[in-house]
Amino acid sequence: MKTYFKTFYHWIDERVQLEDLVQFLGKKYVPIHRHSIWYYFGGVSLFLFIIQVVTGILLLLYYKSGEELAFESIQFIMSKVQFGWLIRSIHSWTANLFILTAMIHMFSVYFEKSYRKPREITWLTGMLMFFLALGFGFSGYLLPWNELAFFATKVGTDIAGVVPVFGKPIMVFLRGGQEVTGATLSRFFGFHVAVLPGIFTVLLGIHLVLIQRQGMSEPLAREEALAGREKTMPFFPNFLLRDLLLWLIVLNLLAILAVFFPWELGKKADAFASAPAGIKPEWYFLFMFQTLKYIPGKLWILDGEIFGILLFSAGGLLWTLVPFWDRKSNRGEQNKVITYVGLFVIFYIIVLTILGWTA
Amino acid sequence: MTTTDGLNTVNVKKRDFLKWILSGGLVAFVGSVLYPVLAYLKPPSQSEVEVSSVKVGKLTDIPKDSGQIVKFGSKPVILIRTVAGDLRAFSATCTHLDCTVQYRKDFGAIWCACHNGKYDLMGHNISGPPPRPLNEYRVVVQGEEVFVSKNT
Amino acid sequence: MSRIIVILLTLVMFNRLSAADDQCLKCHETIGDNPSALFKHDIHFKRGISCADCHGGNPHLEDMEKAMDKKAGFEGVPKGDDISRVCAGCHSNPEQMKKYGSSLPANQLQNLLSSVHGKLSVTGKEHVAQCITCHGAHGIVSVKDLRSPVHPLNIVKTCTKCHANAMFMRTYNPSLPVDQLDKYRTSVHGKRNAKGDSKVAECASCHGSHNILSAKDVKSTVYPLNIPSTCAKCHSSSEYMKGFNIPTDQYEKFSKSVHGVALLQKDDMGAPACNSCHGNHGAAPPGVESISKVCGTCHAINADLFSSSPHKKAFDQRNLPECETCHSNHDIIAATNRLLGVTPEAVCSKCHSEQLSPRGYVVAKEMRLLVDSLESSEGIAKLLIEEAEQKGMEVTEAKFKLRDVHQARLQSRTMVHSFNEQQFRETIEKGLKTAAIVQTEGEFAIREYKFRRIGLGIASVVITILAISLYLFIKRIERRQRTGM
Repeated sequence: MKTYFKTFYHWIDERVQLEDLVQFLGKKYVPIHRHSIWYYFGGVSLFLFIIQVVTGILLLLYYKSGEELAFESIQFIMSKVQFGWLIRSIHSWTANLFILTAMIHMFSVYFEKSYRKPREITWLTGMLMFFLALGFGFSGYLLPWNELAFFATKVGTDIAGVVPVFGKPIMVFLRGGQEVTGATLSRFFGFHVAVLPGIFTVLLGIHLVLIQRQGMSEPLAREEALAGREKTMPFFPNFLLRDLLLWLIVLNLLAILAVFFPWELGKKADAFASAPAGIKPEWYFLFMFQTLKYIPGKLWILDGEIFGILLFSAGGLLWTLVPFWDRKSNRGEQNKVITYVGLFVIFYIIVLTILGWTA
Repeated sequence: MTTTDGLNTVNVKKRDFLKWILSGGLVAFVGSVLYPVLAYLKPPSQSEVEVSSVKVGKLTDIPKDSGQIVKFGSKPVILIRTVAGDLRAFSATCTHLDCTVQYRKDFGAIWCACHNGKYDLMGHNISGPPPRPLNEYRVVVQGEEVFVSKNT
Repeated sequence: MSRIIVILLTLVMFNRLSAADDQCLKCHETIGDNPSALFKHDIHFKRGISCADCHGGNPHLEDMEKAMDKKAGFEGVPKGDDISRVCAGCHSNPEQMKKYGSSLPANQLQNLLSSVHGKLSVTGKEHVAQCITCHGAHGIVSVKDLRSPVHPLNIVKTCTKCHANAMFMRTYNPSLPVDQLDKYRTSVHGKRNAKGDSKVAECASCHGSHNILSAKDVKSTVYPLNIPSTCAKCHSSSEYMKGFNIPTDQYEKFSKSVHGVALLQKDDMGAPACNSCHGNHGAAPPGVESISKVCGTCHAINADLFSSSPHKKAFDQRNLPECETCHSNHDIIAATNRLLGVTPEAVCSKCHSEQLSPRGYVVAKEMRLLVDSLESSEGIAKLLIEEAEQKGMEVTEAKFKLRDVHQARLQSRTMVHSFNEQQFRETIEKGLKTAAIVQTEGEFAIREYKFRRIGLGIASVVITILAISLYLFIKRIERRQRTGM
């Protein structure tokens, strides 16, 4: 058995120089310190993404896009196909957990200032993937073509539509017309299963290669204090196995969520029905949605809604470009301002989300 | 493999046990993931979503001057073939109190057994308590096969 | 006193043109023709309106040629729509009408033109009815005057001049019956009208006068949805109905009944209005013996079953109205199980007491038990299916069968009217059997749902074991790394 494996390994090694990779991985170390726990969230996000790909492909086998069939086909998956209910529930739950872990991952990187030189590109690709994940969420939400999703999409694309000059064309592009119709569904389906995954995969590749090449970043303070004599553990097998262990636990959690809190399908969308009460976007859009509600209708010369959208766009842009304006961290100095800004953002998101949830 | 180690045999046994559990657990895990996935991949008996259209059968199997109830999702649809041979389909749910209607050869009409409601062969309520006509469905004949579909 | 007023009035009016000065009338009276004779008691004549006011010409000239010259404005006998136009010259002008001291409305022609009589035309040049068609031309008197053709006692004859003439009606509306008068004379309204009671309904009471619309017109007073309020105009007025000795709460009761709600609130044209049971032109309360026939026009199966049931004879002997005895008449509410059985609110117990009629008492009790058991098992089956559905289980098949249970229950309600325990039991049992199947399927689906949790439990255990052993494995590797180094 062992000899067969060895022969096979040599056969491969002769052709693609596997030994280099093993050597590289063997020499790779992960620093151990009190913030080590945050290193795992990137891995968990990756795992959840893999689950999304697998369950997504499985759903694709039975899902049918189109106004007439979308809702019925999900119903079919949930009732007729064996374990269809499980696959769909896991896909929906994972989508939400993925956004959550990606957020945690992002904030941990932010607070550790790990985006500083030389990891600017890793941060950028990560941020872009995060925005794509939001796009995944937004487009995937509509695919079951149920009432809630229909109206949430209507509201969501409406908000895009109020932006001056660019807004209207963007809205029409997203909707595939003036209104949310079957054309919108087709488009969102295309985005969700082809466009977004394609771009995401490229970004993910860059992100992962960079992490392997550059290794794990370390907190600033530690870098100064323990230069040279640091505590580490090997990436392979120690860190990787720990990653796997966590993945197992997450998988178990997902199965429990899927069985005990199966994702509802709701009522089929009807374009001519009046909107049901309490239309809310997915929780990760809630804080923005809620903010727009609080902004007064007219602010100075600007429309309140436009002001809010511009504010969030500017905020998102600044956040994404943080490695380029946070000079202090780049020089290896502590930058308290960045930490306070981050804390404020987290506080703001949590409060507004709670307000939106309970409203 | 670590028998030459300085540790005693009890430890060796324990290690082997751990490995045994680990590989056993791995196999069981792969099984418990693969089972639902494989079961999912197996096409269900009703192989497609057919709620917007239902296949009734061969045209030659539907006699003239007859009516039959067709299952359309969880709702019944009545498929009528007139004396002249025309095919028509209507919702078989009586508009009065939701009984299932039937075709009565002797009346040449659609009839509800609950309260003697009658509909003509265009689905219009013609006598008895029904307040509204029956909803119409579309009948499509493709070659020999007869399909009933939603009238959109 | 009154004589003085009359003299004064005549003086005032004749001041314009005294009859003696009216050369038209003078001359035509000498000829002795009909118009001039009739015109003498015409209300218009009395108010000082002359022949020339309608026919034109110069009434002051003795020379006939000159007086009736076209140049003097003579029009002769108006033809077609001109007739109504001449009348409307004054009657559509409120100012003019006030001058003559009239309080009549001024919209009659307008109403007539929008009515079925004003719109229909055979020649295309003139509408069917002109003012004179009903009111006459030269002998017009107040509607309150018995000589008027539109007086309540005469109007029937006036309308039927055309409406009972099949040859005439064919040209305008061949599908309209011409037997309204015959039917009317059989009705309570018609009989009293013939005896000289001017309070009872005649044609105009229901159809209106100038503004008569087709019964198919939604604005018509006799459109099915409007009939109850039309009848109620008189029948709900206790003041108007004083002296007739019949109740005045029919409309109130009807509007709360299952029929009234369907007709008046849901606009269900299949639901009966007053005339569906009482007839329209032949309006009369259905007799005791004909009630089941009247109700049976819609509720056919129930009526058939009843007629062949033992109750038929029993009701006839006791002179009980068939459907009405249990269901009442104007205030029929939706029948529920509570009507059946021997409880105080059940109707069976009205006759079938335990002492006096033990057989019927037992059957009624048993039938109620049966229908209650079907209702409860339908309820249980429904709950099970709903629960299973809520849990995301596939139960469309069972839901489909649930319809049969519902149907059996509705049929059993009809079957009650056979008052035959065996027949009733068969219908109920069919439903009970299906309900049992549905219940089993529902329970099965819920079991399947529980199976999923067990499956999850197993998978969870597997994952947990794997996770723990992996943890131990990591620990072992790390221990060995430390000792190895």
